[in-house]
Amino acid sequence: MKWWFLGFAVLAFHAGKAQAQETPDPVDLAYKTRLVGESHSVRGDSVFARGLPLTSFGRDRARLEGEARGKAGPISLLVTEAVSDQEGSQPASRSLINEAYADFGGGGIHSTVGKKVLSGDVGYGFRPLDVIQREARLQVLPPALEGVNHISIERFSSSAAWAVILANPGSGHRGDPKDDGSLALRYYQRAGGTDLHGVARFSDRFKLETGAAASAVPHESLELHGSFLYMRRSERLAPLAEPASRSQLLSPDLALENKSIGSARKALAGLTWTHETGWSILGETWWDGTAPSAEDWQRLSRQARQRNALAALPGVPATAVAGSLAASTRMFQQPSVSRHAALARIAWSDPQGGRWSGGVDLLRSLDDGGYSLTAAVGWQADKLRLDAGVRRFGGKPDSAYRLMPERGIAFAGASLAF
Amino acid sequence: MSRFSGFSSLFRFSFLFLTSLISCLISCQTSAADVKALLKEADAYRLTADSMRVDTEVRTFKGEQPDKTRLYHVYVKPGRRSLVVFRSPAERGQKMLMLGDDFWLVLPASQRPLRITPMQKLLGDASTGDIASLTWAEDYDGQVTGEAPIEGVPCLKLDIAGQRKGVSYPRIVLYLAKSDRRPVHAELYVASDKLAKEAAFKIGEVNGRKVVTLMTLTDRIQRERRTEVHYLARTPKALGDEFYNPAFLVRADIEQ
Repeated sequence: MKWWFLGFAVLAFHAGKAQAQETPDPVDLAYKTRLVGESHSVRGDSVFARGLPLTSFGRDRARLEGEARGKAGPISLLVTEAVSDQEGSQPASRSLINEAYADFGGGGIHSTVGKKVLSGDVGYGFRPLDVIQREARLQVLPPALEGVNHISIERFSSSAAWAVILANPGSGHRGDPKDDGSLALRYYQRAGGTDLHGVARFSDRFKLETGAAASAVPHESLELHGSFLYMRRSERLAPLAEPASRSQLLSPDLALENKSIGSARKALAGLTWTHETGWSILGETWWDGTAPSAEDWQRLSRQARQRNALAALPGVPATAVAGSLAASTRMFQQPSVSRHAALARIAWSDPQGGRWSGGVDLLRSLDDGGYSLTAAVGWQADKLRLDAGVRRFGGKPDSAYRLMPERGIAFAGASLAF
Repeated sequence: MSRFSGFSSLFRFSFLFLTSLISCLISCQTSAADVKALLKEADAYRLTADSMRVDTEVRTFKGEQPDKTRLYHVYVKPGRRSLVVFRSPAERGQKMLMLGDDFWLVLPASQRPLRITPMQKLLGDASTGDIASLTWAEDYDGQVTGEAPIEGVPCLKLDIAGQRKGVSYPRIVLYLAKSDRRPVHAELYVASDKLAKEAAFKIGEVNGRKVVTLMTLTDRIQRERRTEVHYLARTPKALGDEFYNPAFLVRADIEQ
């Protein structure tokens, strides 16, 4: 049994004496079920085409999710069960405790023990300050987030708050940065009409990360936000260094390398504007010093063409070419595929509370001229919600989004809440 | 003689002008004070204690057909502080905080307080502003512009304007019963001075006290839409100051 679970159980037992509970019912339960379908269209002329059968690119998929949310006294739970089916694979089911934690305290000092979602920052398309949760962004109909194991103590006044968060203690350096052990300090201050946020996190992988963010509403329709993060150390996935030998090009293990890049910076600036007719605009631009550069994508494309050329030579196993091409597509699974990007969203929801809403997002890579264009509509009834949309990737040749092995995704979801 | 006559006329005119001006100033001050007092009397029918929890059910109709039902728990505290906890299955986990002119929203999928604009707060069937704002005296001022009967009830007609930028409706024409100052009817105008909604108030007796039990909002832009805001329960309740801190919204100490 993990240390945190034991600690959670002990503290939750004692937390029954918590003074700050305001829950009127002893047990508070909610349940939601959702069916999601995605149709992925593969790009026929992709330079990665030979390797795609070994990846999940281009495969249609569906998942049925059940989400139970409960609260009893100081203890909160979020449990999900998902059955997923992917074209060419056997259906798989997964049960997950997304959140299980106890909140307790009073008189301005509060604590949390357990697994809880710890998202942060003020942005929408990109969040430099989301250093603990490290939420994946811009997914279509994303599943519920999985929390972070942690213990925290927080101090609140009417206009300020600080928190010390010990996340995944003893875990050190894990595969996913979200699972790394870390110690973080978060600070919030309301200064007039402006929200100020500060964060400092120390982990073995990134050493010290420090950042700040602000959000303000200067006009009844306009909100402005921005954030900045400095990382003492960082890393990023990059294609093979050039020139690459034939054996290097054919080795799946060497297709990409995780490079340490020293210090790095992330920054975001954005705004939201809403009109009384229900139309709204989101505009953001950001810099991510940990994302691949335009030159990285050009190199990945060049090496994919070299691998394809090797396939025509005698004595080169087709499986080796396919394997190395498939391995190199992991470049697309990074949190950001572009260093300098801009997001524009125009959306509408009925100002009188009607059932329909819709929006169009354009995410443009300013490094290399690639884009991701998404259009979606939603329909909300009393308990039933329907969503549908399409996403299309394109742009200049050798741009990240144009190199994406998929041309686009069509998606639909139906959820029912109880 | 004519010079004296002219001087006398000027003197009389100046005297009349000054007395009128003083009278007007006194009258205006009295009127403003009266309006505040009237609004406070009207507020007492909606908010029966300074700090309380109000359980609110919102039913929307399209024509005569029921459309959606939503349940909210609203925690109000002096100093223009309101915390709205969304309790319907479709909205469970959402919370909205209003601190004067500033607003934050927490969505269950992301668990972080998002700063929203007054305009975003206004959108929706019964905007969260309609639910969370339970007083006029703190936010509005204006004048009594006349008297008019509303469905047979003799009423004072007040034209009041928002005194801060975050109010849901910058202008309200409010009708209060002459007899006991209970709210009877209101015309709610948006920033463009367009009549957006009309509100009718139903008074009931709860624990021996007359209170608003139902506010019916009729949409004047999409005329087939109607919203009923039912005040199910009012419980005196004073949450700690930290509950009105945006950073506190993601904690589960408050109900989900």
